[in-house]
Formats: sequence, structure tokens, C-alpha cells
Amino acid sequence: MADPGVTPMASALEVSGVSKSFRRGRETLPVLVDISLRVENGEFVSIVGPSGGGKSTLFHIVGGLLAADQGTVRVGGQDAAGRRGLIGYMPQQPALLPWRTIEDNVVLAREIAGEPRRGSSALAREWLAKAGLDGFASAYPHTLSGGMQQRVAFLRALLSDHELLLLDEPFSALDAILRVDMHRWLLDIWEENRRSILFITHNVEEALLLSSTVYVFTGRPATVLERVEVPFARPRSDEVLDDPEFIRLKRRLTHLLKHDARQAR
Amino acid sequence: MAETRIRRWVPPLVAVVLILTAWQLFTVLSGIDRWLLPSPADIVAAGGADRLSLAGHTLATVRLTLLGFAAGVATGLLVAVVLHVVPVVRAAVYPLLVVSQNIPTIALAPLLVVWLGFGVLPKVIVIVLVCFFPVAVATLDGLARTDPVTANYLRMSGANRRQLFTKLEFPNALPAVFSGLKIAATYSVFGAIISEWLGSDQGIGRYMIIQKSAFRADRMFVSIAIVVLVSLLIFGAVVLLERILVRGRPRRDAHG
Repeated sequence: MADPGVTPMASALEVSGVSKSFRRGRETLPVLVDISLRVENGEFVSIVGPSGGGKSTLFHIVGGLLAADQGTVRVGGQDAAGRRGLIGYMPQQPALLPWRTIEDNVVLAREIAGEPRRGSSALAREWLAKAGLDGFASAYPHTLSGGMQQRVAFLRALLSDHELLLLDEPFSALDAILRVDMHRWLLDIWEENRRSILFITHNVEEALLLSSTVYVFTGRPATVLERVEVPFARPRSDEVLDDPEFIRLKRRLTHLLKHDARQAR
Repeated sequence: MAETRIRRWVPPLVAVVLILTAWQLFTVLSGIDRWLLPSPADIVAAGGADRLSLAGHTLATVRLTLLGFAAGVATGLLVAVVLHVVPVVRAAVYPLLVVSQNIPTIALAPLLVVWLGFGVLPKVIVIVLVCFFPVAVATLDGLARTDPVTANYLRMSGANRRQLFTKLEFPNALPAVFSGLKIAATYSVFGAIISEWLGSDQGIGRYMIIQKSAFRADRMFVSIAIVVLVSLLIFGAVVLLERILVRGRPRRDAHG
């Protein structure tokens, strides 16, 4: 999956010392301050922090939409500054194209990359079946529920064929029960191909359940408050939620976030 | 489905029949002169009697309308795309475009005849002038209403400007484009008639001018009916094309 000419030892993502501020009139609004983080190949990493804290800005920098004021971003060992099309991306809203069928939506990123259509279609149908969406290939997005649309958006990112996937609060709009379903679903799919994932959320439990490493971000401007290793074995079952260690970690991260929020005030 | 469609057509149809009946009764009962206000029956009779000549004129008008409509739509789309892709041009040209719509086309048409003569070209230009604006404005509006989250998604996935346009912006604007096309479809027939008034040897517009000089109100009503019919047919064709091309559901509804 990695590009030729890149050493296989390189991390999927390496962000070092990235800062970014926006100018609003005469004011300078710092959004990210000295962010450093790393996603190893095949690792599931989460960023947890308050909503609206500039986490999405980090994704836009990694995705090449924005330029960082300082610091470097390397994707698979390559300098990714201002370069687009190196990652698979799943935004907060499904952002499916309503005039395309589900299958045509799933292959969109491959189509952009210029992959031949026939191979993409076969792959799309294979993954739709694995994701429990067989029978929806020729349906239009508006006929699907919110949860199903998010699954399609995830498959679209997955099929983009990039080693690194950026998932930006993908489940924040779903209700609690559906969210639990989606966690199970995402873990199952992920176990099958072990892509490198960077996952943004403001939900501590979600971050701990899914990831091997969690970065705790402060609110605006965002800085890395702490890096936490999550020790539970894979594949993970839902019983992890009742593990005393899990509860201890959850309490600690929640405390960190609360404490930061209080300081900000 | 079929039943609701029939039910939708019934009220306007009944209204038309009632109006025609009232018209017929009025002309018979009031004894109004036929050259002033012919009855619907007179009009049908006049149309039937002159059908050969009418068929030729109608064909000429339809041909001119379709040519002008196609040229107008092409111009409108081109203007919209250029203005959308080059924001500087948009800032400079858009206000001029809006102001230009205050110039009545009827006032420009004689000038075009002076410059370009009585051929097809000045007539097509008149139709283009009335057609391109609704298409251009509607298309620009549709292009500007692209969902920013989806646009960011495509850019981060590596889409270049052309791909962003062909895969997202244009298909997203398609319902808006069709609103513009529907307006332009009816305008194009109106433009064709005006251009035929000003100098032509054939077409329904020409036919109307001749009948006006002869005080043949019945035949003028026949030409009006034909104009309406042609308008409806072109409009219907646009709606049909919309049904085929606009698939899924517009985003506005999907997330509304």
C-alpha cells in the first residue's frame, strides 16, 4: 500500500511542532500551538479534546488544504506540506454526492486518483458486502439512514487506497445506541485490514475503546496535553468497557479535559 | 401515482373548458363583430382552413426557436462557467450583466437588423439575448451553492480544479441549471416571434404581421395558440430531460 521509494519503516504520519493561527482583522487567533504526534503503520490513534478546538484544522493541514505556520507534516515518510491526495478522509457529515448511487460514491476517491473503473467497482461491491450494505449498491444516499451513510463515507475513505485514514468526529451526529453499533462495526472492519487511522473525537470512551494511543488536546488554542497508551489487547470486545483499568483511564482523561476547561475559563 | 397525476391535471383542464365555453357563449349572445373578437369555433375553423400555410410558418419558427435556444443556452452556460471559475471576471462582469438586462431586447433588435441584415444571424442573436441571462444566473447560483464540506473532502482526496467542477460543482448545480432552462425555453419562443416581426419572409411572427394588416383577428388568435403550443412543447422537452438527468435528491432536501 505504501508508495514505492519510501522506506517501509517510516511512520504513517508524523506531525512535529505544527502551529497555526488565523488572522481575523487585526487580531491573530492561535488555533494550534506546537502540535507533535505520530501514527505508526497499522496503529489506531485518537485525538480527544473539546469540540471546536482546532482539531479539524490539524486535519486540513495534514490533508494539504492549509499550510502550517510552523512545523512539518510527513505522511508515510514524505513531506506532505501542501500536498493533497495522500490520505483517505472521512468528514463529520457523510458528504456523499446525492446524485450518485452508493457504489458510485464509494469509488469516488479512486476515480479522482485515476484508478480504472472496473477494478474499483468489484472492490466496492466486495466491501459493501463486508460492511453489511449489500443490496444498497444502486440505491441513492437519501434512502439510507444516517448511520448507513456514515458507513458508506468510511468505505469511501477506506477504498481510497491510502495507508493513512483521517476520521473527523464521524459518529458525533449519531445517537448513543447507534454509536455503539458503529464502534463494533468500525473495529471489525479495521481488524480485517489494519490501516493506520487518526481519529478525532470529543468522546473519551470512544477514544479509549477504539485506539492504541490517545492524544489529549486542550481547547483553543489546541496543544497536546498528554499522550496516553491504551494497553488492552486486540481484537477488543465490549467487555473492555467494564475493565477497572479502562474505567481508571476514562476517569483520568475526563479529569484532564475538565481541568483544562476550567483553566480556560 | 398515476391516479394523483390525473387528479392534478383535472382542475386546470376544467378551467380551460369553462373559459372557452364562456367565450363561445359571449360571442354568440353579444353579437360582437367577428373581426373584433372571433369565437373559439371561428378560430378553429380559421386554423383548419389555413393549415398548409400555417404548417410552413410554424416549422420555420420552431427551427429558429430551437437554434436560438441552443445558442442561448450554450452562451449562458459558458458565461456562468467562466464567471464561476475566474472570480475576478465575475466581480467585474456580473454587475454589468445585471444592468444589461434593463435594455429592452425589442429596442436592440432593429439595431441588429441594421448591422446584420435580415438573415438568420440577427434573429438568433435576439433569442440568445433573451435566453442566456436566466441560464447564466441560475447556473452561477447553483455553482456557488456547493457544499463546502464535500468540496473540502474532494480537495483533500486530491481532486484538481477540473475534477472539482465536473464531479461536484456542476452536477450539484444541475437542478438550478434546469430552472434557468425552463425560463429560457419560454423566452426563446417569444424572442423568435419578435425577431420575425422585425424582418422575415416566414415564421409565425411574419404570419401575425400579415394578418394584423388584414384585420384577421381569427388568424391572429390561431398564431397565438400555435405560439403557446410551441412554448409548451419545448418546456415539456426540458422537463423530460430534467427527469432523466437530475437523479437522487438535491442536497438541500437531504439535509434540510
